[in-house]
Amino acid sequence: MLKYLPLFTLIMLSGTATADDRPIFDAHIHYSHDAVELVPPEQVAKILRDAGVRKALVSSSDDNGTQLLLDAAPDIVVPALRPYRRRGEINTWMHDETVVDYLESNLAKNEYEAIGEFHAYGNDIKTPVIQHMIALAKERNLILHHHGDREAVDLIFETWPEARVLWAHSGFTDPDSVVDALDTHPRLWADLAFRSDMISRGRIDPGWKAAFEAHPDRFMVGTDTFAPERWYYVGPHADYSREWLNQLPDQIADNIAYANAERMLASE
Amino acid sequence: MRLWVSVALVVLASAANAEVLLSEDEIEQTLSFGPWPPSLQPDPSNRVSNDASAIALGAALFNDPLLSVDGAFACASCHDPEQAFTTTEARALGRVLLDRNTPSLRNLAGLRWYGWGGKSDNLWAASLHPIIADEEMAHSKESLKAAISDSPYINDFEKTFGEIQKQDPELVLVNTAKALSAFLETIITEATQFDGFRDALERGDFVEAANYPEAAQRGLQLFLGRGNCVFCHNGPRFSNNEFHDAGVPYFLNEAEVDEGRFGGLNILLSSEFTLDGDWSDDPDKQGAWAVRGVRRSHSDFGMFRTPSLRGVAETAPYMHNGNFIDLEAVIRHYSEIDIERLHADGEDILAKLSLSEQEIADLISFLVTLSSKP
Repeated sequence: MLKYLPLFTLIMLSGTATADDRPIFDAHIHYSHDAVELVPPEQVAKILRDAGVRKALVSSSDDNGTQLLLDAAPDIVVPALRPYRRRGEINTWMHDETVVDYLESNLAKNEYEAIGEFHAYGNDIKTPVIQHMIALAKERNLILHHHGDREAVDLIFETWPEARVLWAHSGFTDPDSVVDALDTHPRLWADLAFRSDMISRGRIDPGWKAAFEAHPDRFMVGTDTFAPERWYYVGPHADYSREWLNQLPDQIADNIAYANAERMLASE
Repeated sequence: MRLWVSVALVVLASAANAEVLLSEDEIEQTLSFGPWPPSLQPDPSNRVSNDASAIALGAALFNDPLLSVDGAFACASCHDPEQAFTTTEARALGRVLLDRNTPSLRNLAGLRWYGWGGKSDNLWAASLHPIIADEEMAHSKESLKAAISDSPYINDFEKTFGEIQKQDPELVLVNTAKALSAFLETIITEATQFDGFRDALERGDFVEAANYPEAAQRGLQLFLGRGNCVFCHNGPRFSNNEFHDAGVPYFLNEAEVDEGRFGGLNILLSSEFTLDGDWSDDPDKQGAWAVRGVRRSHSDFGMFRTPSLRGVAETAPYMHNGNFIDLEAVIRHYSEIDIERLHADGEDILAKLSLSEQEIADLISFLVTLSSKP
């Protein structure tokens, strides 16, 4: 009876979803203070396992959530240190010198693979706090998970040319602009969290398809659990990712699903 | 841009030194909230829309527990006509405690989406779902057909829809829903004190307009200005009828959440009861562009439809889960909103307003005039 039933719909229907069991490296996860209060670490670990998430880059405001989740799922969690004690600091943290103390304190007592996700636009990168943060990352060769614009990306690499930068949400910019950034910076990767424009009426957008083919080794997926309830979107998001990735050649799909993130972590 | 005071439009009222406080720009925006009631066309997807017999049948069925499988309750049990077609419970109580606040059923004709999550794109589909939902009326198509067949309404039903025994049970279900829809289309709130003000402004009758309370005018200015409520609550219904994250938690319990628009789209896009489906009576499939063209977004998860504000003072409690007991609680929510709950690149229209007590009172004064008589 239906005249139209998009393929994309099928994957969103609970229980009917996954096209395959492709593992997922979720490169954009937060487990912040309010989520800690409402979704216990054991429940979060179960959500990740049930979703087939093999690894997850986790950063939290404050860092307590990451450490709790690391204890609950050490085989999954890849810890990142976020420079926020509360998410509400995203617009002000670069002007708050106590952030440096917070970072140094946590870096001294815990192991991390990355610093971020941090929000910074344009000349924010030149502030002493962010410059200090980049220096701390450089000392430890940590990945920088950056949420912001192209200008800020350029300034990060100007500050530290050998940095490994993961561009959150692919900068919320168009695929051609993402490709240009990836062309310019060989040590830049891009996550696709909170973006839906890769899919149009059930098919991969041609612009994005071209971007994935141009840089098959640089993209990765992520859920972005920015509010406690969003933890219950990790499973549907993993199913969604598998479905649209299934439209790509297997090698590219595997890369975006998990291999690119694993290679980014392993790179020097 | 906004002008908070426009001397040119300040008009002294004859009696109490009342005045119109709005700027030209604010007056122009105010005119966009009317006229009311709007002129409505029959629903082309429902062949009995605007049909007097169907409306009468729908009204009778709406109030009769016949539509629940065991006669436990009628549509009107939760959508109480004496309580603005809702009830005062935070979350509706069907056979179990349901997930959401009971929406009022007024001013529903001609909307693009129905329900908090928008699982329907037409009013007869929205009327159909509760009849067969296990947690609500719990009929099967077959039990509904039997109930209608054995009811006092059989003659009226057959007069409108033809001989019931020749109808497949699914057709009986759809026809029943279309009769309900025909009735619901007729439930329209009356013109209010606000509409009197708005219409006076349109006529250029500033003396008459100045009778609108100054507190309500100040509230309206906040609504249009710093509060930017109009961004979502716009048009004659005071709703854009789309979906937003208003920063209200959507946990159902410790291990479940209300998926909001995400879940609504799952149902909509797998439904045979849309404007694009064969159950629509409209050969031109008017309005089907919406369901054909709707695009999914990760932000759908936990978003809910913007409710109309017409008659809002009569429909407490508020929000998708009845989280706020009165209008003051709603306004305080937006005044002190926890922006940490919102995505940095999501609902950036929302910001902590930090309203004064006077401003909160003014906004309430304005909202109340959307319910009161002119």
